[in-house]
Amino acid sequence: METEKRVPDWLSVKSVGLVVAVVFFFIPFFIEFEGLSPMGHRMLSVFLMAIALWITEAIPLHATAALIIFLNILLVSDRAMLPLPDDYKAPGFSTFFFSLANPVLMLFLGGFFLADGAAKYKLDKNLAKTLLKPFGEKPSNIILGLMLIVAVFSMFMSNTATTAAFMAVVLPVIARLPPGDRGRIALALCIPIAANVGGMGTPVGTPPNAIALGALNAQGIHISFVHWMAMIFPFMLVVMVVAWQLLVRLFPCSSKTITIEIDSSYDRSPKAILFYFVAGTTILLWFTEPLHGVSSAIVGFFPVVVMLSARLISDKEFHSMQWSVLWLVAGGIALGTGVGQTGLDNWLIGLIAWDQMAPAMIGGALCLVALVFSTIISNSATANLMIPIAMSLAVSLGDDMNRLTAAVFVAIGASLAMMLPISTPPNAIAYSTGQVQTKQMAIMGALVGGTGLIIFILVAPHVWALFGLLE
Amino acid sequence: MKRIVILCVEDEAEVLDAVLRDLSPFKSVMRIEAAESVDDAKTVLEECAADGHPVGLILCDHLLPGVRGVDFLIALQQDAHYVATRKVLITGQAGLEDTVRAVNEAKLHHYIAKPWKAEELQTVVRDQLTEYVIRTQDDLIPYVGVLDGARILEAVASSGRDQ
Repeated sequence: METEKRVPDWLSVKSVGLVVAVVFFFIPFFIEFEGLSPMGHRMLSVFLMAIALWITEAIPLHATAALIIFLNILLVSDRAMLPLPDDYKAPGFSTFFFSLANPVLMLFLGGFFLADGAAKYKLDKNLAKTLLKPFGEKPSNIILGLMLIVAVFSMFMSNTATTAAFMAVVLPVIARLPPGDRGRIALALCIPIAANVGGMGTPVGTPPNAIALGALNAQGIHISFVHWMAMIFPFMLVVMVVAWQLLVRLFPCSSKTITIEIDSSYDRSPKAILFYFVAGTTILLWFTEPLHGVSSAIVGFFPVVVMLSARLISDKEFHSMQWSVLWLVAGGIALGTGVGQTGLDNWLIGLIAWDQMAPAMIGGALCLVALVFSTIISNSATANLMIPIAMSLAVSLGDDMNRLTAAVFVAIGASLAMMLPISTPPNAIAYSTGQVQTKQMAIMGALVGGTGLIIFILVAPHVWALFGLLE
Repeated sequence: MKRIVILCVEDEAEVLDAVLRDLSPFKSVMRIEAAESVDDAKTVLEECAADGHPVGLILCDHLLPGVRGVDFLIALQQDAHYVATRKVLITGQAGLEDTVRAVNEAKLHHYIAKPWKAEELQTVVRDQLTEYVIRTQDDLIPYVGVLDGARILEAVASSGRDQ
C-alpha cells in the first residue's frame, strides 16, 4: 500500500469545529455577560455555535441552518423548553418555521426554475453563441464579451453553474493556445470574476442578496427587483470593465485571434418554446414591478407553477434542485429574527464605540469585514451572520446610516471576495483547471475586490441618495 | 477526501511496471494500487474498504495464476460494493468465449488489447474515471484538471450551487 500523509481523523477541522461549536454553545449558560438580558444569553449561545459551525463547516451549511431554526424554537420562542422571563415578548414558534417559506425564498425559487430550464433547453449556450458573435475574434474583445455574458447569466443563474458551463466552453480554446501564453490565465480567470461580480446584479443573483432582501423585508423595507438592479447594476458594470482592463493588461494574449466554438442550436420543441415564453414573461414582470405593483416574490412563483404543471421540469429534476441553498438562506432569516427579538443585536453593537467613527468609515468597515470573512468562509454564511447586526447598527446610528445601505454593503462585500480558490465555488472551478496559480488569483482578486470596495463605499451611496434610491 | 483507487491486476512484473508508468498522470488525484494475483487483489480491495477508499477502476489481466481475470471481474460485478467500479480488461489472450462472458456478466466497460500505446491506455482510464466520478462523487471540482475537464464541468453546471 502507498502511504499517505494525513492527520488523524479526530484532529480534522470538522471535528475540532464540532467541539468548538458545543463549547461555544454552553459558554453563555455558565458565564454572565454584563448588560445582556437572560434571553440575549440564550441567543448568544445559538449565535456563537452558528459562527463555529459555519466557519468550520463541521456539518453541512444547510444543516446548521436547520439547527438554528430548531434551537430558536427550543430556546427563545413561545414554546421554549426553558422558562421565559415575564417581560420577554416571545415570538411564536411558527415564526421560525415560517422562515422556510419567506417570500424572498419564493423569489429565489423562481430564479432556480428559470436557471434549470435555461440549462435544460440549452438556452444559456444558444444565447451565449448568439451574443458572442458581435465581439469578433480579437482576444481582448472576446474576453470582454465572455465577461459580460457570464455576468448577465449569473444575475439569474447560480454563479457556480454559470462558471462551470462557460469554463467547459473555454477549456478547448485554452488548450489551443501555446503553453505559457498568458492569455490562458486571462481566459480562465475572466469567467469566475465575471460570475462573482455579476451575481451582485439582481436579487436572485446570489444567496447573500436574498439574505439582505429577507432581512429588509422583515423590517418592512420592501425593495423591488428593479430597485435592487438600479442600485447595483451600473456599479457592477464599472467593476466588470475595470476587471476586464486589468485582465487583458496583466495577462495579454500572444495570439492575434481566438475563436470560441459553441456547438448548439435553438431548441424549437413546444416545451422549449413554452419555457422561453415563461422565462421572458417572468423577467419582464420582475423588471416592470413599479408599473404593475405585483411583488417579485409572487412573480417568482409564476414559473414554478407553470413549469411544474406543464412538466417542463420533471419530478426527478424537481427533487434535485438546490433546496440546500433555500434552507441556508432560511437559517439566516431565522437567526436574524432571534437576534433582533432577544436584543442580542444591540448588546453586540454596544461592544464597539461606533460614535468614535465616521459614518462612511462604518459603512466601509461593514463591506470590508464581509469581504474578509467571505474570502475564507461561505458568502451566505457571512451574510447570515453579519446582516442582522449591520442593520441594527444602522438603526442605532440614527440618520447617519440607512438600513438598506448597511444590508447591501454586507451582501456586496461578500460577493467581492474572490482572492483564493476557496473563496467561492467559481474560483475553485477556475483553479481546478490547472491554468491559474493561487498567486495570480490573489492579485486579481485583490485588485477587483479593492476596486469594487472603493466604488461602492465612496461613490455609490452618493449616487443612491441623489436618485432617491434610499427612501 | 478519500482518494479514489485505481487497481491494476497483472502477474508479469514488466507489464505491471509499464501499466503503472502509463498511469502516472493520474497519481496526483487518484491512489494507484497494484496486485499480482486475484488473491492479492482481494487483499488490496479489503484494505481499501477498511480505509474507506472507493475503488473507481480495475485494470485486469486475464491470464493470471489461479483465478482468471474474467471470473474475478464477474465476481466483483455481483458484489454491490463494486457495481459502480469501472472494469477494464487488458489482455492479449482472452478467447472469444471469455470476452463475451466478460461483457455480458461482468458488464465490462472496456477491452484493451496488448500491446497498447500509453496514450490509448490514458484515454481509456480518463474516460472511465470521468464516468465514475460523475456518477458517484458529490464534489467533482478536484477532478477537472486531471480527468475530462469539459465533461466534468458540464456535470457541475447542472448541479452547481452557490454557497
